[in-house]
Amino acid sequence: MIGFIFRLTLRQLIVRRSTLLLVGLALIPIVLAIVFRFGNSDEDPERWTARVLYLGLVVTAVLPLTALLLGTSVIGDEIEDGTAVYLLTKPLPRWQILAPKLAAAWVVTTALVLTSTVASGLIALDGAGGSIILGFSVAVVIGALAYSTVFVLLSVATNRALVVGLIYVFLWEGAITGIFHGTRYMSIRHYSLGIADWIAGTPARTFDAYVRGETALVLIVVVTVVGMLLANRKLEEVEVREPT
Amino acid sequence: MVVQDPPALSVENVSRWYGNVVAVNDISFALGSGITGLLGPNGAGKSTLLHMLSGLLKPSKGEARVLGEPAWRNPAMYRRLGLVPEREAVYPFLTGLDFVRLSARLHGLPDEEAASMHALEQVELTDVKDRKTGGYSKGMKQRVKIAAAIVHKPSILLLDEPFNGADPRQRLRMIEMLKRMSEAGATIVFSSHILEEVERLADNVLVIVGGRLAASGNFHEIRRLMTDRPHALTLRSSDDRRIAAALIGQPSIFGVSIDDGSLTVRTSDLMAFAEIAPRVARDAGVTLFELLPTDESLESVFSYLVRR
Repeated sequence: MIGFIFRLTLRQLIVRRSTLLLVGLALIPIVLAIVFRFGNSDEDPERWTARVLYLGLVVTAVLPLTALLLGTSVIGDEIEDGTAVYLLTKPLPRWQILAPKLAAAWVVTTALVLTSTVASGLIALDGAGGSIILGFSVAVVIGALAYSTVFVLLSVATNRALVVGLIYVFLWEGAITGIFHGTRYMSIRHYSLGIADWIAGTPARTFDAYVRGETALVLIVVVTVVGMLLANRKLEEVEVREPT
Repeated sequence: MVVQDPPALSVENVSRWYGNVVAVNDISFALGSGITGLLGPNGAGKSTLLHMLSGLLKPSKGEARVLGEPAWRNPAMYRRLGLVPEREAVYPFLTGLDFVRLSARLHGLPDEEAASMHALEQVELTDVKDRKTGGYSKGMKQRVKIAAAIVHKPSILLLDEPFNGADPRQRLRMIEMLKRMSEAGATIVFSSHILEEVERLADNVLVIVGGRLAASGNFHEIRRLMTDRPHALTLRSSDDRRIAAALIGQPSIFGVSIDDGSLTVRTSDLMAFAEIAPRVARDAGVTLFELLPTDESLESVFSYLVRR
């Protein structure tokens, strides 16, 4: 049953026009890496890749925006257009609908952002810097799961999930965590950076995360598990009505 | 209609509001097997009521029950209940057969292929079963939704405006199919704002107006109430004053007035008026040009029922 809904959701995501937009978004780091590689920059490639390409673009924008658009659409769009009725009026516990939907959002987010991360890193570092690419790749995979969970939760908790998600990504993670450093412990972006730094083991001058790796992993697991439980509870109470 | 114990469907003092807007206001009824028409103008609260009965909306007050169990937060009841929503949306990338098979699979049916084909046969869609539903006409989408809702042979079927987009032949076939299901003991509730649809299909009627239950019971009784109400008609003729004078003495006429050059006739018996009007006009030597009902909108009929 779970596999069936998972495949159905993948098909829904693949045929959507906005998925093309996300492919375009994933191409931006690759284009930027090509420009850096073949430009005459004096910057250290490892430092540029970690700080500008990954921290400044992939983890800050590409990952959360991809997860946001996919996470809020897998269930949210179905509630919006009424097709959710065909799943919700079946004798299934809600987690059997939630789990494959979340898995589909995570898989597609990961596929897009991971491809972008690995390809752009290989281009910018000219095939070197394996630890940086590995560190950020693992961070993207784990971060994608946490973001997807939170955005799926938003889509069943509010009908303004996209707006709330954008506020979280740009206002909370983009601005507030930059001003009040303590709030970085409540940011999936900083958890992802902590994991990347932990695995890459790069020197501080190249890249240094605020949240320690072990702490980041624990927090990201907590956010994901609590997010899933809350999303399941919200899905049990979700209402579907005809448009007025 | 036979109301068993517990009833197939029941609502008790159910209300539902959205902010300050009351969509359904303190409605109670119990339904057994047979076909019930939920009749009312657009925006009356029919869809809200059906959604509460199908567990997709939580009543703000009261409780909706299916076979004695609460409808809200009770996924197990969908083994016995099927819902055909009003919205046209289907998964456009699935073929008709895939769409019905999806329903069969999610119901955990042992032979989903045979069940899907049987349901598609019921709605006469087997010849287009391999076409993507995105390319279906409105009527075909309506039928494939019905097939998906009946694939597990539910004992209760709820349909929200099921005849929208269906041509007369399809409508007739659907009516026959629903009657067959009803004869086999199913409880069927469908909503409609078209009186004739309800008349052809339902034994029992619930009239909803402004979120309230305006009338309920046998269709013919309610139809009589609707037919016997005062009717107003505007009449245009070669001599309005002469025909007005001739009509005023007729027993079925209880009012005639000429306002702004327009003749309005009030009658308590529409059929009797239709019979006498040409005769009276001929005897008076007047030619009738036009006869128009002035208050025949469904809303006015329903308003009359509410006032009763």
